[in-house]
Amino acid sequence: MTPTALRWIGGSLALAALLAYPYLFGIYFTNVFVTFGIFALYAVSFNLLLGFTGLLSFGHAMFFGAGGYGTALALTHFKSLPLLPALVIGVVAAVALALLLSPLMVRVSGTAFSMLHLAFAQLMYVLALKLRAVTGGEDGIGGFRIPPFRIPGLVNVDMKDPSSFYYFAAAVLGLSVFVLWFVTKTPFGSVMVGLRDNPNRVAYLGFRVPQTKAAVYLLSAGFAGVAGSVYALFQNLVSADALHVLNSFTPVTMTMIGGVGSFFGPILGAAIFGLISELTSRYTERVELVVGLILIIVIMYAPQGFMGLVNAARARARARFAPGGATELAR
Amino acid sequence: MDPTTAMYVAQGVHGLAYGMLLFLVASGLTMVFGMMGILNIAHASFFMLSAYFSYQVLAVFGSFWLALLVAPVVAAALGVLCERLLLRRVHAFGHMGELILTVGISLVILEGVKVFWGTESLPIHVPAILEGRLALGGLDYPVYRLFVIGLALVVLGVLAALLYTTRLGMVVRAAVSDSGMVNALGVNVPLVFMLVFGTGTWLAGVAGVVIAPILTVYPGLADQMGMDAFVVVVTGGLGSLWGAFLVSVILGELNAYGVQFVSQLAPVLMFLFMAIVLAFRPMGLFGERE
Repeated sequence: MTPTALRWIGGSLALAALLAYPYLFGIYFTNVFVTFGIFALYAVSFNLLLGFTGLLSFGHAMFFGAGGYGTALALTHFKSLPLLPALVIGVVAAVALALLLSPLMVRVSGTAFSMLHLAFAQLMYVLALKLRAVTGGEDGIGGFRIPPFRIPGLVNVDMKDPSSFYYFAAAVLGLSVFVLWFVTKTPFGSVMVGLRDNPNRVAYLGFRVPQTKAAVYLLSAGFAGVAGSVYALFQNLVSADALHVLNSFTPVTMTMIGGVGSFFGPILGAAIFGLISELTSRYTERVELVVGLILIIVIMYAPQGFMGLVNAARARARARFAPGGATELAR
Repeated sequence: MDPTTAMYVAQGVHGLAYGMLLFLVASGLTMVFGMMGILNIAHASFFMLSAYFSYQVLAVFGSFWLALLVAPVVAAALGVLCERLLLRRVHAFGHMGELILTVGISLVILEGVKVFWGTESLPIHVPAILEGRLALGGLDYPVYRLFVIGLALVVLGVLAALLYTTRLGMVVRAAVSDSGMVNALGVNVPLVFMLVFGTGTWLAGVAGVVIAPILTVYPGLADQMGMDAFVVVVTGGLGSLWGAFLVSVILGELNAYGVQFVSQLAPVLMFLFMAIVLAFRPMGLFGERE
């Protein structure tokens, strides 16, 4: 069989598994999977900045939160708003916030970039707590209407049903991850990597560095907004916790665990992270303690994350089985 | 003096006290950044840890002065241990790794504190001599705030003397501006860095003990002070001691008067100030590099 045929078969099997999942595993694990999907997209959008463009954000939660608050506010105030426009409003809110910040953010990099994001995300958090009339303060906005997914004359699916919501979330999140993956494969994706490795040379080649940075920034913020918006719909609640600094550190941790150097690393990291918090929360309330320890261990002993370990093992195996590989390994 | 002026002056004193404490925390942060390019996210965690240590010392021995002496030293020792055992080892992987490592340390300290001391705020009582108010030039000042300002000024005076008159201080200043060159001249830069890291953590620790009676001790302490200190360091210019001092005092006053005039939006003023400064000077007020 050719590799292409194998890929098609593998893809079809994965799709079939995805479709059958709610029937095989029940409501609880369906919801676990939706949560995983949301944070996987969130981490992938974060890694677009860190892994591909070399910008470490400690405030990505503000875009996640903007998406969530945007959708929640829209559904609270517009009585007959359909589902997809509500989602789009969340994304637009996240992109608008990024657009507002971008003139400042594209001019800094390194530590200043990280710290400015930390500070602005904290500002958003404080605002969400203080502007009680708009955001509901600590309680957040909850219990808003979840509209059905409707195409007139074709379908009308109730989104309060967990398995219907699963299909909706899987479609939206899967499509988003695909779009991001596709972007990294385009020439624009190569320019992003160039920005990470040598911005001077990218400028010399004739690309406008600040504008390109801004485009990546908006893209990353927009898809973090998608994740936040789906999260708000899923929980039927968005509170200041979504903007909290710990929620900014979540994608950092996921990306570091999974592997910062690869596109799919953060998805793997989100899965491992979800598994760890699921397991530790059964024994202790202090999940963050475990998260912090894991973060330290990963940085100390596996700075390229899980994907890095996999790649190293693969390289070792290849060296062993390739002709003359043993000598190469010995060197 | 009429009551309105008296109120303004009192607020000014509050702001100055907070600004001084802020500078105690931020000075260590900015020095460490200047030498090694690391912005230590866990810096404020040691500040909080010291506050908890002082609570513990006070609970066991009952002496605030002993707490002021012991707690910052213990916190600084822990900080130095973290630097030697963790930070130094990941130095080779670049600043991203160091930054994220300090996030890990701060999470562990935050949660560890909750495990040992719980999540409620613990009150700390100051010695009788520091309680009450002092009449000065027709105005009433709380004695403790004046003590805070005085202590901070003494500590800073000693440090400035060390930094600007001794040989060691000269080496430290040189290392802040170009650690590679100092290393090439035969100075043991990692050792000097350890010293600076320890001193910075000790300064934060002193601030932690001193602020405990004002704010009480609770797990959110690191978040609150840490965020302000980061704003100071970024706005003042990473690695610039004078920038940190100036911005600390400005932020202290901004906070004090902000609470008085626009109480709801007081925290916003600080970020607004930072955004305005950075919009015109991305490196901060006195910063020379990123």
